[in-house]
Amino acid sequence: MNDQEFDKAMRERARTEDFRLPEDYPGRVFAACASLKETTGRVRKKRSLTHWAAGVAAALAVFVAVPNLSAGAAAFLEDLPLLGPVVEVITFRHYTYDDGHGQADVETPRIQAAGNAAAAVNADVQAYVDRLTEQFQADCATLGESYESLDVTYSVVTDTEDWFTLRVDAVETMASGYQFSRFYNIDKAADAVVPLEELFRPDSGWAEALTEEVLRQMTEQEDPENGVTYFPEEFTGIDTGRNYYFDGNGGLVLVFDEYEIAPGSMGMPEFTIGRSVYEPFLK
Amino acid sequence: MKPTTKAWFTQQVICHQTSLFRTARAILSSDEDAEDAVQEAILSAYTRLDTLRDPEKFKPWLLRILVNQCYTLRRQEKPTVDLTEVADILPAETRDTAESLTLRQAVEQLPQDLQAPITLFYYEDLTIRQIARVLSLSEPAVKTRLSRGRDRLRRLMT
Repeated sequence: MNDQEFDKAMRERARTEDFRLPEDYPGRVFAACASLKETTGRVRKKRSLTHWAAGVAAALAVFVAVPNLSAGAAAFLEDLPLLGPVVEVITFRHYTYDDGHGQADVETPRIQAAGNAAAAVNADVQAYVDRLTEQFQADCATLGESYESLDVTYSVVTDTEDWFTLRVDAVETMASGYQFSRFYNIDKAADAVVPLEELFRPDSGWAEALTEEVLRQMTEQEDPENGVTYFPEEFTGIDTGRNYYFDGNGGLVLVFDEYEIAPGSMGMPEFTIGRSVYEPFLK
Repeated sequence: MKPTTKAWFTQQVICHQTSLFRTARAILSSDEDAEDAVQEAILSAYTRLDTLRDPEKFKPWLLRILVNQCYTLRRQEKPTVDLTEVADILPAETRDTAESLTLRQAVEQLPQDLQAPITLFYYEDLTIRQIARVLSLSEPAVKTRLSRGRDRLRRLMT
């Protein structure tokens, strides 16, 4: 029997042979799921935030609770400029931790500008980084002496007259490293956060066109001998909320997390979609 | 059902609970440890549901979290001798030649480093690339282990 036939036979046996689970196992799985909280997903452990973050969190809650506040009124309230040609981003909080097993170096950025878009991004970024940090702290408590690390950094990718892009990168390491990112794109003139799908006319076929282009580039670039390889079977198409930014030539760059569509050796793959491909679908 | 709700997550976990246990058991040496690992992985995965980009990839995503959990638990286990590695020294077990091993019994007799790739390949039908991601191995390493595992299974099951 050759290998292929053997594999087929083994898969058939795996499919048909009885695999008994421990008697209490389904109950434990059910109980674990039942214990999950609907909104946050876990029981919060008592970890105190820094006094600094607690105070600012209160201020943000007031700001975000008044979504209809006009940009002008908000600027007066916060004594901050509206998003202009140059946007200032500060490190709102820098959390570090090192107990010899768990290590963390987490920077939370804040856009120093008034307006709904900046407020929305700041709130989302803070909630996102807080979740990563709390998960890291919870893991440290349960993993004991096992090594784990969390690094979060940020950068301004684009800052022009009309457009601003903030990138937040995270690397979680536990047995192996895992890198992932979030991109926040703001149309300054509209004072609006713009997810990928908002660039395009609905039902115009934009997702199919971008998907086709990414697949074409994967095939074109494939070069296993030189370490360039993808998982095209893992790529199910361009979805809503896909990370993106515009490069200096007007190219639309789509960004994937590590391991999402390629082995870890490929890092975080990026594909630049030329203007001729995406422009016909723009709003 | 929105793929970020507790109900959706629970449905997915229960749908894959056999796969979860099988994979954990292939790495850990007892049913109890495997159950503990699955439970911890469920809790951990729920809190990082926002890292799941594509709901269609829930199973490999959760398996990866589970495998990391198993590795952590395994480091805490007391070291044991892997009897399959000293099979040449130990007296051979007598076995009724009319009995044949089930696939599960045969997999449990494989060296520890082969059990997880073999389980993911035959039971969970993952590709080599997916196995590499779940187990944090290179693809050549996965292929080598599958080849060794296949050779051992042939001897055990014939």
